[in-house]
Amino acid sequence: MASTAESVSDPARPEPLHSGGRQRGNPWRRPWALEGFTWLYILWSIVPIGIAVLFSFNKGASQATWQGFSTKWYVGNQVTSVLHNPSLHHAVVQTLILGVLTTLICVPIGVGFAIGVDRWRTRTSQGLNLVMIFSFVIPELLLAVALFLLVTQALTFISLGTEAEVAGLVVWNLSWPAIIVRARLVSIGRSYEEAAADLGASRMGAIRRVLIPMLMPAIFASAVLVFASTVDDFVIVEQLSSTGNTQPMSVLIYSNVHGGLSGPALNALATILLVISLAAALIGFIAYRWMTRGERTQGSTEALTSIAGI
Amino acid sequence: MDQQNTYDKRNRRLWIGLAAPGAIWLLVLFVAPFYVMLSVAGGGINEFFQTVVPVWNPLHWSSFNFSAVWHDIVGAGAYIGPPALRTLLYTAIATAISLAVAYPVAYFVSRFAGGRKGLFLVLLIAPFWVSYMMRMLAWIDLLQQGGFFNSALSFFGLPGNTDWLGGKSVTVILGLVYGYIPYLILVLYAFLDRIDQRLLEAARDLGLSKWRTFWSVTIPLSKPAIVAGCFITALPMVGDYFTNQLLSAAPGTTMIGNAIEGQLDSPGQTGQGAVLALMLLVILLIPMVYYVMSTARASREMA
Amino acid sequence: MSGGHVKLESLTKRFDQATAVHEISLEIQAGEFFSLLGPSGCGKTTTLRMVAGFEPPTTGKILLDGVDVANLPPNRRQVNTVFQSYALFPFLTVAENVAFGLKYKSVPKAELNSRVAEALELVQLTGYEKRRPNQLSGGQQQRVALARALVLRPSVLLLDEPLGALDAKLRRTLQVELGVLQKQVGITFLYVTHDQEEALTMSDRLAVMNHGRVAQLGTPEEVYNEPADAYVADFLGVSNLMDARVQPGGDGKGPCQLRMGDFTLEAAAGRLDATGTVKLAIRPERIHVEPYETTGANRVPGMVERLVFLGSTTHVYVRLATGSTLQTLVRNDGAELPYSQGTAVSVAIPAEALRVLPDPAVSAAEIRDETVGNDVLDLTGTNSG
Repeated sequence: MASTAESVSDPARPEPLHSGGRQRGNPWRRPWALEGFTWLYILWSIVPIGIAVLFSFNKGASQATWQGFSTKWYVGNQVTSVLHNPSLHHAVVQTLILGVLTTLICVPIGVGFAIGVDRWRTRTSQGLNLVMIFSFVIPELLLAVALFLLVTQALTFISLGTEAEVAGLVVWNLSWPAIIVRARLVSIGRSYEEAAADLGASRMGAIRRVLIPMLMPAIFASAVLVFASTVDDFVIVEQLSSTGNTQPMSVLIYSNVHGGLSGPALNALATILLVISLAAALIGFIAYRWMTRGERTQGSTEALTSIAGI
Repeated sequence: MDQQNTYDKRNRRLWIGLAAPGAIWLLVLFVAPFYVMLSVAGGGINEFFQTVVPVWNPLHWSSFNFSAVWHDIVGAGAYIGPPALRTLLYTAIATAISLAVAYPVAYFVSRFAGGRKGLFLVLLIAPFWVSYMMRMLAWIDLLQQGGFFNSALSFFGLPGNTDWLGGKSVTVILGLVYGYIPYLILVLYAFLDRIDQRLLEAARDLGLSKWRTFWSVTIPLSKPAIVAGCFITALPMVGDYFTNQLLSAAPGTTMIGNAIEGQLDSPGQTGQGAVLALMLLVILLIPMVYYVMSTARASREMA
Repeated sequence: MSGGHVKLESLTKRFDQATAVHEISLEIQAGEFFSLLGPSGCGKTTTLRMVAGFEPPTTGKILLDGVDVANLPPNRRQVNTVFQSYALFPFLTVAENVAFGLKYKSVPKAELNSRVAEALELVQLTGYEKRRPNQLSGGQQQRVALARALVLRPSVLLLDEPLGALDAKLRRTLQVELGVLQKQVGITFLYVTHDQEEALTMSDRLAVMNHGRVAQLGTPEEVYNEPADAYVADFLGVSNLMDARVQPGGDGKGPCQLRMGDFTLEAAAGRLDATGTVKLAIRPERIHVEPYETTGANRVPGMVERLVFLGSTTHVYVRLATGSTLQTLVRNDGAELPYSQGTAVSVAIPAEALRVLPDPAVSAAEIRDETVGNDVLDLTGTNSG
């Protein structure tokens, strides 16, 4: 195009084709407003937690004014630290017991449920699947109340306390393995099991040697989620607890917030709870990446979203 | 496919066997408890011990507890009304605020985060793994009379002596938002991340500006995610009682969950607590069924 | 190699209302490379799955070296399958994949390792033992699937369209390799495909299937040169089907005279005893396109409609004076063609290549619609079903 005068449009700023508003500058510019907003949210979300963790190391007994650094709430003080105070100590142990027991029971039966319901294609199985989805979406309080009544009025051989708590937690968390493993199952299909049978495997053998290994990442992700959800759980555990020393950390914190144990001790407990959950998440993340090392497609985001259950 | 059907059908006993433990657990510990709840609601009281006497046969259910609750709702000394209304109000406001905050954040991370997506995801997922107790504890620390928040306010010349934890609706509502928003963000993110980029590119190619593309394409596409997200947020929120307990503990901010809890714990009123819980369940049944059906439909389409 | 003789007796498979396989009876010799050829939905895969054991037959027998295995589960048959999707176990290495089935044969460790090495060498993948399936190309994955099946030394190897996912060039290379491999190993191969070029290249014998039945069974030459009916003629290559009417007065044994439009032709192949309306088939490579003035028997004047250059050959579409369009084939030997689009020509149809076929029910036009215009870029000018 010869360099004639006026009406040559600037190729760097093409005219908008439609009148949807004028083109304001670079269409590829970064969305600063959105990004700023996101960072604000993240700060609002995480900073308070950081402060609470900080105060668990407070030298004084206040949860509001910083009085110096100390680990007395964890191990130092003979009376009030987590290590030495019996009720605090037991709470940590009880939390871990609940977490491990529930995960050990819930994941196998959840995985079996997922596989069975996926292939047993009748109305009954679809009905069971619906029941499972309901358990995912119902307010926890209602289930806790119903379970409390069940255990006290009907199935009284289940005693309140750890027994009832584990039973309730298993049911409450059943949807994690059921949904996550089912999703993975759908993408696997039947051809691998048929190949295994062709090569000599029996029915259960094919499932054991082929299907389960292929489901391992999903199984593991759901186990991590069940553990974290249980360790954090409060409503069902509180409702089904008995008198005595079987209070896990979450219940202990709740009952002592308005008086009772000193503030920073609660922060210490909560921090321990935090560390346990994060450790589980980290283990899950690493294990997931290791297990899918033969078939990774999206890098770290895939592992992250899987252990978040989405 | 026929091949799939043959494999499935031939091994039917195996599938039933695998699903059985989970199915039994669900039936015994999820379905049966609600029947027990019905029986307690329709049952009576042992006057002497003030304990419940459940009635198992539906034909013998009495309306004793139901009328007592009805009195509590509409009668002379009615006290259920306020918490019920408050629950609706709090949930609606908290969900709305959550959506207003969650959507832009999810939108940003799914569309514009680029190489830093992993970093943002970690930061967004982190609260998921921090226990609810810890997160509420954090705010209790901050909002105390001598705490950071008040100090910051007085630093900026604003009154710094409000008792935030003494029974303020604002605190409870924001507490609810803080507690439930991570779930909403993740659900929205998961969905927005999966929107086919090419649909948006096609829209731009056809001449829509960025805003128009957003309103005419992205938002309609996100509708199912927004609906599902609101369900996942609002439904559990309705049953919440502990946020109020932790951040307020005053009668002026109680929610329906507190009322149920209160009745259950009072001797002689357990039956009424069951009734109240049942009523809440029935009210929530419609949205729950709607959510379950649409999820089941979606997953069947996938399979 | 012991055995590998397969006999299907009246094998039938019904799914609810539809019959996928209708009383198929055929016999495969030990050590033979046998193909089941047909379009999708013809029942070939179902038949294969029945032999493999994934599909129980509704009625009929599957005799493996004389023993009826129809009701044996797949893991108890001396038969192994190479799946269309390969189905390699992603969480195992190549060597572990190949060794998978050996675990069920109580093979001591030393022998296991040597057999795995042997199998990998057979498919030319020595050195790949520690790789994972997702690190291999399509062709390599297919070879691992082969090795995994062959290491178990089955009597019969079943292959379900194993080359379907590969690009054309690789497919052709592997076709040759598979044929060589089969002869080397000596096992019966039962091969399912919809690609007639594949079937013709590799098979000792093949069965062309149509809607659950065997339309014709024979060697590649038999099936291609002497198709039993219009369906087979048309499935294997272009057949240029035309309608014609048999002239009375023939003796049913020698060449018969037919009337096609205004022209009389002599046909010396196929059903020479047919009467009335018949179909005529002629392969593109047997037709000669000559200058318009040329005289002689069995000729029809026509016009060149279209020329399609395919590299080593050129397809010449000629519209006859009778109205039909024939596809002919010319080798590109460097000389320029003496005609172009629109040139009037004389089409010579040698009597010994002109085949009379039964099946007057399907009209020539109907079948022709599917064949004309499908320029598939391969050597024999064929349609892939």
